[in-house]
Amino acid sequence: MSQAKLKKLGLTLPPLPTSTVGSFPKPDYLVEARARFARKEISQKELEALERKATEFWVAQQEAIGLDVLVDGEQYRGDMVAYFAEVMPGFQMGGLVRSYGNRYYRKPIITGKIQWPGPMTVKWWKFAQGLTSKPIKGMLTGPYTIMDWSFNDFYPDRKSACFALAQVIRKEVETLVEAGAKVIQIDEPALSVRPEELPFAIEAMRTVTDGMPAYFITHICYGAFEFIYPGMLRFPVDNFDLEMSNSGLDLIALFKKHPFNKDLSFGVLDVHSHVVETPELVRGRIEKALQVIPKEALWVDPDCGLKTRTVEEAQGKLRSMVAAVREVRQALDKAPKGKRRRIEVGSVVKKRRKKIRKHKYKKMRRRMRHKKK
Amino acid sequence: MELVLANHSSYPRVGASREQQRLRRAYAQRERGEISPDDFSRVQDSVVAEVIQEQAHAGCELLTDGQIRWYDPVSHLAGKLNQVEINGLLRYFDTNFYFRQPVIKGRVAGNGPLVAEDFRYARAISPRPIKAVLTGPYTLAVSSIRQTPVYRQLSTLVLDLGEVLAQEVRALAGAGAEVIQVEEPAILKHPKDLRVLHKALKPLNQAKGSSRLALYTYFADATPLYESLQELPVDILGFDFTYAPKLPEKIAKLGSQKVLGLGLIDGRNTRMEAAPQVLPILEKILPRLSGGLVYLNPSCGLEYLPREKAGAKLRLLKELRDAFLQRGKR
Repeated sequence: MSQAKLKKLGLTLPPLPTSTVGSFPKPDYLVEARARFARKEISQKELEALERKATEFWVAQQEAIGLDVLVDGEQYRGDMVAYFAEVMPGFQMGGLVRSYGNRYYRKPIITGKIQWPGPMTVKWWKFAQGLTSKPIKGMLTGPYTIMDWSFNDFYPDRKSACFALAQVIRKEVETLVEAGAKVIQIDEPALSVRPEELPFAIEAMRTVTDGMPAYFITHICYGAFEFIYPGMLRFPVDNFDLEMSNSGLDLIALFKKHPFNKDLSFGVLDVHSHVVETPELVRGRIEKALQVIPKEALWVDPDCGLKTRTVEEAQGKLRSMVAAVREVRQALDKAPKGKRRRIEVGSVVKKRRKKIRKHKYKKMRRRMRHKKK
Repeated sequence: MELVLANHSSYPRVGASREQQRLRRAYAQRERGEISPDDFSRVQDSVVAEVIQEQAHAGCELLTDGQIRWYDPVSHLAGKLNQVEINGLLRYFDTNFYFRQPVIKGRVAGNGPLVAEDFRYARAISPRPIKAVLTGPYTLAVSSIRQTPVYRQLSTLVLDLGEVLAQEVRALAGAGAEVIQVEEPAILKHPKDLRVLHKALKPLNQAKGSSRLALYTYFADATPLYESLQELPVDILGFDFTYAPKLPEKIAKLGSQKVLGLGLIDGRNTRMEAAPQVLPILEKILPRLSGGLVYLNPSCGLEYLPREKAGAKLRLLKELRDAFLQRGKR
């Protein structure tokens, strides 16, 4: 549980803090502007003005919807690895590679020694934080994922490329902390790909986070967690942000076998579906999470970045999520307090109460029988 | 010993130019309902023709249709079967590529051709032989969610999928496929299930007619299973050497009863292999092989590379073979 750490950092969050994974859809005017910029029809300055406008829109949207920990929405980023690779010496941008269906990304190529080019994300973090009094997360991609999602023409092996990247991301973390960021998310969606490499991925993340005064979240998605769980709990972060809904919440079974001992940002929205989840559906998912995660350790967010949805779908999904969290918070307030480690809500509470009543009834019958004797 | 240059399976469907991205645009248009199914199919046909030409120009001698029409290696086949629904995304082994996971609701059954029609088209337009490619019964089964009491045991599903795929092998053999490649990357992660795979491959072997059946593994080290894989009812075995530093030694020691497909060129990284890396391995392995034939192919499908790099890897294969043959002459 990292509540104490959050408190120490001066952050007071409500129970079940709500957040998002990072990216939001780009409004049409920005999509068009990016295409025009690529064709050199508009200047960097003109593009950036529109990126700021879109960032303002999303920060305002998150506040209006009622999220607790906000993001800048990554309106100025294309791909989560390419954004960093494009500015880091040592990388060249490669051609398009398919990630699924009709989705493609430019996969970078490591062609030389990787170096920190100076702050890569701090300007946007400061801009977004200047728009709200709620905390804005610093958003980075982790060294293991940048390594795994890049071609490597330079370093002798994957491990040395990963460690070189860890040094660079550490410097970015230092500048974010210096700027005032208290919550920093370092995405490592590739973490589960090669279980045998987990030890060096952990070592690399230790380089990034060690001794830094911030609450660290790492986002992992669409992986075979069964191969790295519970070993992944050694990853030196405070909070794991996991995709849960796309995979039918099957991770819960793993957590029942071996307790999850960190904070968990529980993905309750399927970001690859056009369907906007109802608050009831989301509430059901949160209730399932509460069966295995103490309420003090639970955060609620979508499965992944929402950039593949339309603006309206993203808004609708987040509204459902916030409405469901509010209902659960109310239920938690009313739930009986006692020695129970976990406070349950909804149907779980009903079942538990029924069980208690049954137990009390049996006890009473036994006493009566005893008295008769 | 004849060294045949072969593509592995997939090939990038988009490239750097606008023209090479027409399939991507057509997909988006199809999603928005702006293009008819026939027009979309015509775009796919044209891209299949284009990638076949590219492979041929690169010097490849056994080509594939590039799996241009496949959504992914799992749902493209499983999604066409009865009693199968398609679910959310899951990472495909250790790649940054994602497939849609099939959900098995009842006893699986074939529901028409899977890839035989595509094979016929590719064969008709190709200047060189086309290899047919299928994902194998074991990999399909372990990649699926079983939601039916019929398949409480994984092995039952593997065997049923074997029967379904055997029908496809028969159709492909009838369509003139000289080589039918069955891909089983998953078996390397679950070696205890080799016996089930052995059983499941039997109907495929019986259905192949005069075609040669190939079993290709990749994305893990096949060295510990080498002897057992030699026992499988297939004619050709394909290996990914990028995960298996000790495999050349093992082959040099034990030889091979089967024709081999040597995946010495990394299909997942842009770094171009140098002759001193590859030629000594060929020198070590080839004298131990019988059958007079070996395939040189990338370690896996080339869709993990940008288009221009995929072409470069195939050209590299030819350069390396030429260098090897020159060496022999000296």
